[in-house]
Amino acid sequence: MIEFDVRQEEGGTVVAPRGRLTMVSARSFRETVTEVVERDGGTVVVDMSGTTFVDSSGLGALVACLKTARQAGGDLRIAAPTEQVTMVLGLTNLDRVLRPRDTVEEALVG
Amino acid sequence: MAETAHRVLDADVEPQSLEAVHDLLEDWWTEVGAVPMRTRFGFETAVVEIAGNVVEHTRRLDGTPGRRFRLTLSADERTLSARFEDNGLPVQVDLSEVSMAPVDDEDGRGLALALAALDRLDHSVVDGKNVWELECGRG
Repeated sequence: MIEFDVRQEEGGTVVAPRGRLTMVSARSFRETVTEVVERDGGTVVVDMSGTTFVDSSGLGALVACLKTARQAGGDLRIAAPTEQVTMVLGLTNLDRVLRPRDTVEEALVG
Repeated sequence: MAETAHRVLDADVEPQSLEAVHDLLEDWWTEVGAVPMRTRFGFETAVVEIAGNVVEHTRRLDGTPGRRFRLTLSADERTLSARFEDNGLPVQVDLSEVSMAPVDDEDGRGLALALAALDRLDHSVVDGKNVWELECGRG
């Protein structure tokens, strides 16, 4: 199961998926981020410190959300990925485009 | 070689069953014993990707109610293994054609991720059932 915490910070909006981002939850993650982009614009930081597992559907959702954010003139950045998330980002080369930052603060700065 | 951990799940072919797959894995790991984190995450990722593939293919090709799958997890001193059997329509899979999707694509990563994480991944059709076999060393 998953929950999404959304909070506004100076420099952007932070979305924190808590739980597993998989085929079961990928759609609601996309909807949450799309809503944030439409409402706030600018930078979206996905705080993955509480995201215990990501599968290919979750990765697809991250790529889609990156496109959505950029099309709106903003950006999407990943912060504090857990070990499994770091591994799959590396195996899929998505770490090159999603370029994870160590902390949310770092991601908000750019 | 003596088996040290064995678990079986019978479930409907639907996305929510992925949660049951995760729960089964969590329970299984408690009995499997020490495995390097990367091996554990890799194997877990591969199992969830194949479960997702079974769900996705059945939904796309079929949609008939009553489709079920069985997942068997087993481990011995050297190897971690998983086997999926489903009663969906037989599918043709050529794993030699699988490659990682370009970074801009939103799908096409599941089987490539599973292959990258495992030592062996096979798909066959046995008695009209799709059978996936997954294996990797304990590291």
